[in-house]
Amino acid sequence: MSNINPALETFSQEVDELLTAMEDALLVLESTPDDTDCINSIFRAMHTIKGSSGLFGFDHVVAFTHEAETVLDRVRNGERAIDPELIAVLLACKDHTAQIIQHVLFNEDEPLPEALQQQGQVLIAELTGSSAAAGNGMPTTQEEKAGHFEVDPNTTDSSDNWVISLAFKQDALRNGMDPLSFIRYLQTLGKIIEVIVTMPTMPRIEDMNPEYCYLNFKIAFNSNADKKTIENVFEFAEDDCEIAILPPNSRQEHYLQLLDNLPEDQFKRLGEMLIEIGALTEKEVALTLNEQSDDDNEEIKPLGEMLVAKNILQQPVIEQALKKQESVKQKINKESSYIRVDAAKLGYLINLVGELVISGAAMRLMVDKHGLSDVDDVASTMSHLVEDIRDTALQLRMVQIGETFTRFQRVVHDVSKELGKQIQLQITGGESELDKTVVEKINDPLTHLVRNSLDHGIETPEVRVQAGKPEKGTIHLNAYHDSGRIVIQISDDGQGLDPEKILAKAIAKDLVKPDQTLSQSEIYNLIFEPGLSTKEEASNLSGRGVGMDVVRRNIEALRGSVFVDSELGQGTTVTIHLPLTLAIIDGFMVEAQKERYIIPLSMVEECVEMSSDEWQIDDTQHYVNLRGHVLPYLRLGDFFHKNKKHTHTQRESLVVVRFGEAKAGFVVDELHGENQTVIKPLGKLFENLDGIGGATVLGSGDVALILDVQGLIQHAKKRVRPTLALTSAF
Amino acid sequence: MAKTILIVDDSASMRQVVGIALKGAGYEVIEACDGKDALSKLTGVKIHLIVSDINMPVMDGITFVKEVKQLDNYKFTPIIMLTTEMEDDKKRAAKEAGAKAWVTKPFQPPILLAAIAKLVLP
Amino acid sequence: MSAKAKKNEGILQLSIKDDMTIYNAESLKETLLGYCQPGTQELQLDLSAVAEIDSAGLQLLLLLKAEAQQRGFILRLLRHSEAVIEVFELIKLGMYFGDPIVIPANWKKS
Repeated sequence: MSNINPALETFSQEVDELLTAMEDALLVLESTPDDTDCINSIFRAMHTIKGSSGLFGFDHVVAFTHEAETVLDRVRNGERAIDPELIAVLLACKDHTAQIIQHVLFNEDEPLPEALQQQGQVLIAELTGSSAAAGNGMPTTQEEKAGHFEVDPNTTDSSDNWVISLAFKQDALRNGMDPLSFIRYLQTLGKIIEVIVTMPTMPRIEDMNPEYCYLNFKIAFNSNADKKTIENVFEFAEDDCEIAILPPNSRQEHYLQLLDNLPEDQFKRLGEMLIEIGALTEKEVALTLNEQSDDDNEEIKPLGEMLVAKNILQQPVIEQALKKQESVKQKINKESSYIRVDAAKLGYLINLVGELVISGAAMRLMVDKHGLSDVDDVASTMSHLVEDIRDTALQLRMVQIGETFTRFQRVVHDVSKELGKQIQLQITGGESELDKTVVEKINDPLTHLVRNSLDHGIETPEVRVQAGKPEKGTIHLNAYHDSGRIVIQISDDGQGLDPEKILAKAIAKDLVKPDQTLSQSEIYNLIFEPGLSTKEEASNLSGRGVGMDVVRRNIEALRGSVFVDSELGQGTTVTIHLPLTLAIIDGFMVEAQKERYIIPLSMVEECVEMSSDEWQIDDTQHYVNLRGHVLPYLRLGDFFHKNKKHTHTQRESLVVVRFGEAKAGFVVDELHGENQTVIKPLGKLFENLDGIGGATVLGSGDVALILDVQGLIQHAKKRVRPTLALTSAF
Repeated sequence: MAKTILIVDDSASMRQVVGIALKGAGYEVIEACDGKDALSKLTGVKIHLIVSDINMPVMDGITFVKEVKQLDNYKFTPIIMLTTEMEDDKKRAAKEAGAKAWVTKPFQPPILLAAIAKLVLP
Repeated sequence: MSAKAKKNEGILQLSIKDDMTIYNAESLKETLLGYCQPGTQELQLDLSAVAEIDSAGLQLLLLLKAEAQQRGFILRLLRHSEAVIEVFELIKLGMYFGDPIVIPANWKKS
């Protein structure tokens, strides 16, 4: 109990309330001694405090309140009258309880001070001393007998015995039940050590109905049988008897051990755990739970507390089970502990971080400009911190793609059934993370692609068997990170795309000229052109071929790209590249014709000097020979300022960029280095600008354009005539 | 003093087998072949427990149990149904009529003897 | 309920000649209650003829003992029959009633 946990706080509050209620009720009793509500409330105070103290292991409190509870139970049953002396003692008991609870709460590990202990003993003596004489229910010998096997987990007396409590209902005898027969039968399972007979509901002899049963038994029973077997003895008595079977203390050890050995992989309810280790039977749990739900006028007690109160199970076992439950819960929580955060708040935070990055850059600029060397260190530290904050903030929005993937299990299952195909879904790389906003937007295109595979890709089992493939088709969803982007692949082992069909269709739709020479890959990727569907008859699943161009548009809107690769008869793979986030990128700033541009750093391969001696520049075809590879290039200045005449006065640099498999070079005038770039979307007016993906505000207040590398690479490639490029392998 | 058990069953062989098992366990046995026959035997003898079938001609087991519960001298006598019936409805009917226990055939002596031992002192 | 009573200077001797079961619990109770009169100093119950005793009978004995304590007379159980001894043994009641139990020579130990 060394950590002050919230439960203790609740306990402390609860105790305060209960004791206050108890005091109030006691004072009322002074004037109206037989107010049952008050008596009940006093009893409940002691009873509840005893129960919850037990849960926390406050043994002193349990021991003391137990005595008070016993006396109060007698009062409640009319066996003891309320008199001013008793009220005085009970008031003192109330104060004493408060004191010992204060003590255990704040000096938990210290023993109870002498004074408090003595005070407690005196009070107990006053409580019980007078009670023995006043009792008139069952005679003293039975009472005394009861004393020594009162269930007390702390004493080891009678520890090896089961304690079976039987409270027979009035009609038991009339229903043909003879309690003695059951007890006799019990002997076949073990040895009856002691029996206590009580008749708590016995009225005065005049009013007693001899055909009614008033008998309650408490049996100390020594047996190696398990709880279920013992419970079975009373199977016919169930309707006519309340049965509680408390395992022997020696079993407790056993139960505790079993509890320890329970696997921690799954959160279980208390009852389930206790049944699993055999400490409880299903019947006991069901009955107790029923009682719990029936008991609607009082506050609902936890199951564990009820089990202890009903003498079904010892406190330590319950405690251990609760502890176990808590540790499982924590373990599971550790694996998945989330705080739900309003996405808008997160968006706002990321925006602010973006602004912070910009002002950080502005400060950096001022520091450099004014040559404040002593500020320099501070500024450096700060920009590191800002960088960390940025990364962390972005991380907050990162979610694993796995969940999105697993959702397709159902789709695959349902659709394959519908189509009469056998298809399994394989998922890999589900732990790859990407920005939540990206995940949300990628769901539709993904669905479309998966359905395409289901519908057009995977063949029917018969066709597959004929083609020598396994009956069961496979769709594979894969994700991985590659140079600051996430790559998502949807592949199937279906029939693949037929390039001839696609080409014919594309020519028919006037998308390509009949004489145009296209590579295999270019032909495949024609399927993303508007209005192209390879199937003559579209199914109701993937539509009429209007989808693929929409898929591409959606993905491109996320600054991503998609391309398809296929082999006829073997399958198709669609690969999607997406940025991890839409908000901030690490940029590489360059300058051309006095304009600044940002290239996403992750796409920059290298920067080299644009020297004609070294690189065999072909200025008309716009390519260089970069260490034996043909590299198309673009002069950014020329590209964006077509009307300006560029001058070759300056030394130029070549920035080699890569997107997927494609490479190109950008020729720029100056390199400014890395820069944290907060992406500001361009307004509606500019959104179709060729080669521009967005803009950012620089620390100086200037605007820099963020390059759409993918688009620019396409432009660079177009300028190189394929024939030439092919022959230019050196 | 040995306790007396009344067996009610229309099958003579069944009565015989059950009878042998019960006598072997030290009980006195009285036999009856249906509910009506059994009621006629419930006069002037002390019966500590009744084992009864359900499906019997003349008077079925459940009616018989209801009748027994009307008899001053036998109304508290525990009754065990020994039957091939398995349906919950029948079980509930028997229980409502006042039967205490339910043992299904095929007859397994240890099960019946255990049930009896739980209901009467030897 | 058949019982035979002898009265002798506040000491009542009662022989119970019947079973102590639920079937005759009602009459047994009436009989016993009838002897719990003021002036009774000691009630002796001869249980030798009790061929059968069940929980209803046991309950009455327990009640009578409690009643005796309350009313301040002595209850003494004599000559327990086998059936009574068996029940007392079963639930360890011998000590409670405190009366010597004479185990007959031909006692069948089950």
